[in-house]
Amino acid sequence: MTDVLTRRALLRRAAASGAFLTVPGVLAACGGSSSKSSSSGSDHTLAKTLHFSNWPLYIDVNEKTKKHPTLDTFTKKTGVNVQYIEDINDNATYFGKIQGPLSRGQSIDRDIIVMTDNSRYPSLLIKKGWVEKLDKSAIPNFKNLVPALQHPNWDQNRDYSLPWQSGLTGIAYNDKLTEPVLTVPDLLENPQLKGKVTLLQGMGDTMPLIMFANGDDPAKVTDASWDRAMKRIKKAVDSGQIRQFTGNDYSGPLAKGDLKACFAWSGDVVQLEADNKHLHWNLPKDGGGIWTDNMLIPKGGNVYTASVYMNFAYDPHIAALIEDYVNYICPVKGAKGELEKIDPNVANNTLIFPTNAMLDNARNIDSAALNNERYITEWQNLVSG
Amino acid sequence: MTAVPATERMPRERTVSRVWSFVKHHALTAYAILAFTYLMVPIAVVIAFSFNNPAGRFNYTWSGFTFDNWKHWDGVPGLRSAMVLSLEIAFIASLVATALGTLIALALVRYGFRGRGATNLLIFLPLSTPEIVLGASLLTLFLNNHVSKVLQLGFWTILIAHVMFCISFAVVTVKARLIGFDRHLEEAAMDLGANEWVTFQKVTLPLIAPALLASLLLCFAISIDDFVVTYFNNGPKITFPLFVWGAARVGAPPQVNVIGSVIFIVAVSVMVANVLVQMRRAKSAATA
Amino acid sequence: MSFLHRHRNLTPYLLLAPGLLYLGIFFVVPLGFLLHQSLQSGNFDVGYAFTWAWGNYWDAIRGYRGHFIRSFEYAAIATVLALLFSYPLAYWIAFRGGRWKNLLLLFIVAPFFVTYLIRTLAWETILADQGPVVRVLRDIGILGQDGRLLATSFAVVAGITYNFLPFMALPIYVSLEQMDGRLIEAAQDLYASKWKAFVRVTLPLSLPGVVAGTLLTFIPAAGDFINAQLLGSPRNHMIGNVIQSKFLELTDYPAAAAMSFVLMAVILLMVALYARAVGTEKLTG
Repeated sequence: MTDVLTRRALLRRAAASGAFLTVPGVLAACGGSSSKSSSSGSDHTLAKTLHFSNWPLYIDVNEKTKKHPTLDTFTKKTGVNVQYIEDINDNATYFGKIQGPLSRGQSIDRDIIVMTDNSRYPSLLIKKGWVEKLDKSAIPNFKNLVPALQHPNWDQNRDYSLPWQSGLTGIAYNDKLTEPVLTVPDLLENPQLKGKVTLLQGMGDTMPLIMFANGDDPAKVTDASWDRAMKRIKKAVDSGQIRQFTGNDYSGPLAKGDLKACFAWSGDVVQLEADNKHLHWNLPKDGGGIWTDNMLIPKGGNVYTASVYMNFAYDPHIAALIEDYVNYICPVKGAKGELEKIDPNVANNTLIFPTNAMLDNARNIDSAALNNERYITEWQNLVSG
Repeated sequence: MTAVPATERMPRERTVSRVWSFVKHHALTAYAILAFTYLMVPIAVVIAFSFNNPAGRFNYTWSGFTFDNWKHWDGVPGLRSAMVLSLEIAFIASLVATALGTLIALALVRYGFRGRGATNLLIFLPLSTPEIVLGASLLTLFLNNHVSKVLQLGFWTILIAHVMFCISFAVVTVKARLIGFDRHLEEAAMDLGANEWVTFQKVTLPLIAPALLASLLLCFAISIDDFVVTYFNNGPKITFPLFVWGAARVGAPPQVNVIGSVIFIVAVSVMVANVLVQMRRAKSAATA
Repeated sequence: MSFLHRHRNLTPYLLLAPGLLYLGIFFVVPLGFLLHQSLQSGNFDVGYAFTWAWGNYWDAIRGYRGHFIRSFEYAAIATVLALLFSYPLAYWIAFRGGRWKNLLLLFIVAPFFVTYLIRTLAWETILADQGPVVRVLRDIGILGQDGRLLATSFAVVAGITYNFLPFMALPIYVSLEQMDGRLIEAAQDLYASKWKAFVRVTLPLSLPGVVAGTLLTFIPAAGDFINAQLLGSPRNHMIGNVIQSKFLELTDYPAAAAMSFVLMAVILLMVALYARAVGTEKLTG
């Protein structure tokens, strides 16, 4: 296959395969040269390599070969090699890294990056003009985006961003070491858990659960509700109840038994449960957090190639293959149907395809609060001791 | 001064002091064994976990022995490229730093000149500045608009940083060896008609070669291990320590331990070989 | 080269030039930039501007006094522990090591060759709540049933001590090893006990090594953030953690730069005072 595949040729092959939706179809498209002509007159060409930065354990892995099968499929299909880099460990640090070059109009050598909407960074990147608009003409599968995620307030029409995965923030516990921990007050105040509890270091991760426990609405933060929440967390920190604030590094201590319970993300715990039957995860009764990780194209990235990849990832079959490993919440319509064919266990897991009742009980944090200077400072001082 | 023979002391005092010295002698030896054990425990853990066969995706608890991680050491995506980058940087940085450092050391040992104190200070300061300050100050330089127009964060900024913090170590290492250096050999060569450059090539260089080698190895070791300064100045590039840092967030895979063990084994082998050669030389010198 | 012959007094400068120029550009100049940065005001959204904002220093000291004190406290404890640990070991190798000295020395340097982060992670495994160390300490009653080592100041100090041990042990060893054996013999004859001989002669003679070792341990320890990050809790965070997060996460450069300077100034001040107390010639010697 040639390094450069014109978009026209790609679309032609796609058209030839009939759907461009399933891997067999796509592979058939790869081999075949059809007579049906395409519609697009754009002269966009694909780059040789797609540079894709993502979070660890966030795409399918073949445990034997340690390769990423869907990325190999993408390469086979388009001729574009994927340099997949797991270098995003938390939003703030990653933003801190990339803002230097981006603010100077330099490329960061990435075509796709993934950032969470419960941090201020996706909206900040757009506001600063540091991300490119998606080439929606190259993303016909855009229509597969679930309706609930189509109009976030920071990117009303999804001009700049496309969800990668969503997730719920709740409470994980180890039943070998503690009675079930199902509520935030139990986590923060049960003396049996003292020093064996962690919260998440992202304001947008931890605050929704605390605010729900206080009877406040995290989607509408007021100074009063903020102060109430801070007071509650501070009390738990000062009493020694809370051991640390973590990123996804809570998984080690939780798996090893250093923690009895902690705030945790749904998908992580699905993966951890597979290794350790004693781990459980629940959305607190009072309510939990929900967030979405978004693919963005940083300035200087190859918009067309990135968009072609996004289209690929929004093919329900591909999405299902990724989902089967990642175990977070899939934003692609039709993926559940595909997954039922591949791995019915996963397809019926309510952490991966949550019920409406669960979704109703989870909120993302008020984006205004994420940008409030006072809140940012207070939060930082809290989590850094 | 002549030693007073112990036999001239009172016999009882002698016994007491002998018992005391026996206890002390062996207490210290026992302590040394304990201390070495303490030093080795984490290394043993690192090597042991390189053979772990984690049941799931995480290498947290011991769950079985396997050679797989060694066979497929680069089975983790990104690990190989991180390792390659680390080796490249360490290789170039140790060469450049040793070259620059040797010149400085030669000047300091061989010549009297004005500004010697300032030079010493400039060598000493990077050694007494915390790494985090070195990293942060370089980052502010690289982020400055005038600089960042020509130099983006990445390979070159990592290299620049590593050369910077290696120079002082190179100077100190080479200087220590140069001080005991016999200048008569050079003077003899010059008397025989060799010019300064030929003398340097034929006499000086071979004599200081061990010092250069020591400096190269030290700089290499420091560079390949550096996390803090690199963390500030890496841009989009990932070195091995940075890979470990990222991987540790979700539980480092056993392959990280494999690489850690390999670096350890290679370094120790080089040093053991060096020590054995020295010991043999000393022995043959003694018997000659 | 004939040029050099005629201008021999130029040679040292030519030899120095490349290296010192390099250090000038990539060590001194960056410190200047950092200083400049530390006097800026503004915020990330609107940008930073140079305004002689000395208030940044005041804020750094006032707002993060606890972190500064903690850093120096941890570093001091770790330095003392490393000294107490290393001295007898270095002594044993230097005077009892015989022909195996250099090989034994290897054991001290060995930890240095396992990547810093990896050996710190190994301590995380060793000190884990369900790990062997904690279990034993619980069984013998030193720790309570729910006691722990990780995420405490103990773990942080222990990690720092271990990580910087070679910096302490090596200089001490070198100073002991270089000692003239006859001098010690003479001292043992002169003083009634070996202990007295040690205190009066050996110890003072090894002081340069002790001084170098303390500095080489204390300085990196005070600026460390890895140990506090991996082995500690937020209540054990050191000033390095704050600088790191202000620089790389919050992009609050002026505050981070001011803190870096305060850290550096305090360290240099301590080094100078220390040098004065023990005599400068021992520092440079």
